This record gives sequence, C-alpha cells and structure tokens, in this order.
Amino acid sequence: MSELVEWIASTRLSWAVNNYGWIWPTAETLHFCALALIAGAVGMLDLRLLGAVKGLSPARLNGLVGFGYLGLAVSAATGVLFIAGAPDQYFFNAAFRVKVAALALAGVNVLAFHALVAPKLAALGPDDDAPRAAKVVAALSLALLIVIMCAGRMLTFFRPLFI
Amino acid sequence: MELLLWLERTAPGVWLRESPSIFAFPTVLFLHTLGLALLVGVNATLDLWVLKYRLRVAPATLTRLAQLMWLGFGVNAVSGVWLLLAYPAKALTNPVFYGKLVLIALAIVAFDRLRPHVVAATPGAAAAVGPRARTLAALSLGLWAVAILAGRLLAYTHTMLMAEEAFR
Repeated sequence: MSELVEWIASTRLSWAVNNYGWIWPTAETLHFCALALIAGAVGMLDLRLLGAVKGLSPARLNGLVGFGYLGLAVSAATGVLFIAGAPDQYFFNAAFRVKVAALALAGVNVLAFHALVAPKLAALGPDDDAPRAAKVVAALSLALLIVIMCAGRMLTFFRPLFI
Repeated sequence: MELLLWLERTAPGVWLRESPSIFAFPTVLFLHTLGLALLVGVNATLDLWVLKYRLRVAPATLTRLAQLMWLGFGVNAVSGVWLLLAYPAKALTNPVFYGKLVLIALAIVAFDRLRPHVVAATPGAAAAVGPRARTLAALSLGLWAVAILAGRLLAYTHTMLMAEEAFR
C-alpha cells in the first residue's frame, strides 16, 4: 500500500494538484455539483418508485438518470485528482474504505436495477404504484447514496494521524 | 466586533467548535451536504425535466417537489446557522459568504418564478412549457452551481478564523 501511495505521490498529476492552488477548490466545487446531479437524478427516481413522489412517469425520470451518469463521471474524475494530490489521506482512511465499499454496493444495485426494474418501467404510468422489487432497489439506492455522501464528508475527520 | 465575540461564545457555537465527538462538527457538516443534495438535487432534476421533456407537471406533484426542497432548505438553514455560530467571524468578515446568501436567494426566486410556467392547468394533459420556463430552468441550474462554488470558496477565502484570536 505504501509503495502505491509513494508512486501516486511521484506522478506529475500529483505535482500539478499540489502546485496549482486553484485545482483543489475547483475540483471540490465540481464534485459537489456532481453530487447534487447524482442525488437529484437518481434520488428522484428512487423517491418516485417508493411512492414518496407521484405524478411523474418513472420511464421519463429514468431518462434523466443519464445526467446522474454525467455527475458520476465528473465525481470520478475530480475524485482521482483528490487521491492523486494526497494519496496518503485516502488509502489509510477508514471513511474512504466505507465510501469505496458503499460505491461498490451501489454498482451492484445498479446492475440489479437494470436486470429487475428498468424493463418494467415503461408499463408504469405517472401515478402507478411500483412493484415490490423496484421499491427494494430504490430504497437500497437512496440508503447507499446517503452512506456515500456521509462517508465522503467524514473523510476529513478520519485523516491518518501520522501525516 | 462585539457581536462576533458574543456569537462565538454562544453555547451551541462553542459545543460545535470544541466537541471532539463525530456527532458534533462532522455530523452537522454532513447534514449541510445532505440538505444540499435534497434542495439542489430536486430543483436541478425539475430543471432538467423542463429542459429535456419540455413538459408541465401536475399541481400536486409540483407541491410535493417544493415540500422536499423546503425540507432540504430547512435542514440547511439550521445546520448553516449552527456552523455559522461555530466560526461567525470566519464567515461574516468574508464577502463571499454574503454572495452565497444572495445566490441562494436568487435560486429560490428563480424556482418561485418557474412554478407557474411549469404547473399543468388540466390534470393528465401533457402540455408543453414555453421558452420562459426553459430560460428559468437553465438560470436555476447556473445559480445553484455558482452558489455551490461560493460555498466551497468559504474554506479558502476567509481572512479571519476567530474574532477572539484577531483582537486579543
């Protein structure tokens, strides 16, 4: 692990993140905008499937999830900048491990969504109740979104002490 | 300056600043992020709905979306005031903080102006929105993005952390 950290810290990307002061705040801003995009696009579909919001076509809301993927791409790219800039802050950080584990589970949940829920969305009208499987996947999605945001926000407070 | 000193000595401010508990500063900061996700997330998704589908939304649905946004706003008003009490001088001596408040106010005004252009007059009818709604939706997305930028910059642009330290 420490060899990986040393290698990352020796890259030109790491040097750039640490030598251009504007990169970190800019990446943070984009990371937070992307957070709102993901939580909004994915979370609204989740809330609709759970019945907390009615009157919107689930298929149309699913059509907005593409913006969530755009948010995910921005999050991943800016996340790489953070890790490149301060690898030791992430690889020895309990909150980061929780975040990565929750992201992996969310990825599995997305696969479950495409296998079990997405094919049934076209048949659902704007006010129709979603099937039970859809509600389970939506509830897991919302819970994982919250865990990912919480672990992400907690990263700062779980920094390794020896740094 | 007396006001800043008094604010940073209030009990909720002192507790949030000094408690080593994970349920103090880190949790309030997380709640501020969660409120952002709810308020901006719901509003941005409505904006994208308007821009992509150009369709109106049933009155009851729009009311529900507004309720979710107000919930997010409420969480952030409480967590925001609490974070302000922890480091009042840091925010109140920084022009960026006032800029952030103005941007949030403008984004809420944009949502309020958007509502009548998006609400469906007849339930069930998928009526199209006009160009005015699309302009307001795009403006809303831009205002929230700049508000988030201002919020992030608060961590980098302050000139003072504690009034107590600055005027000792």
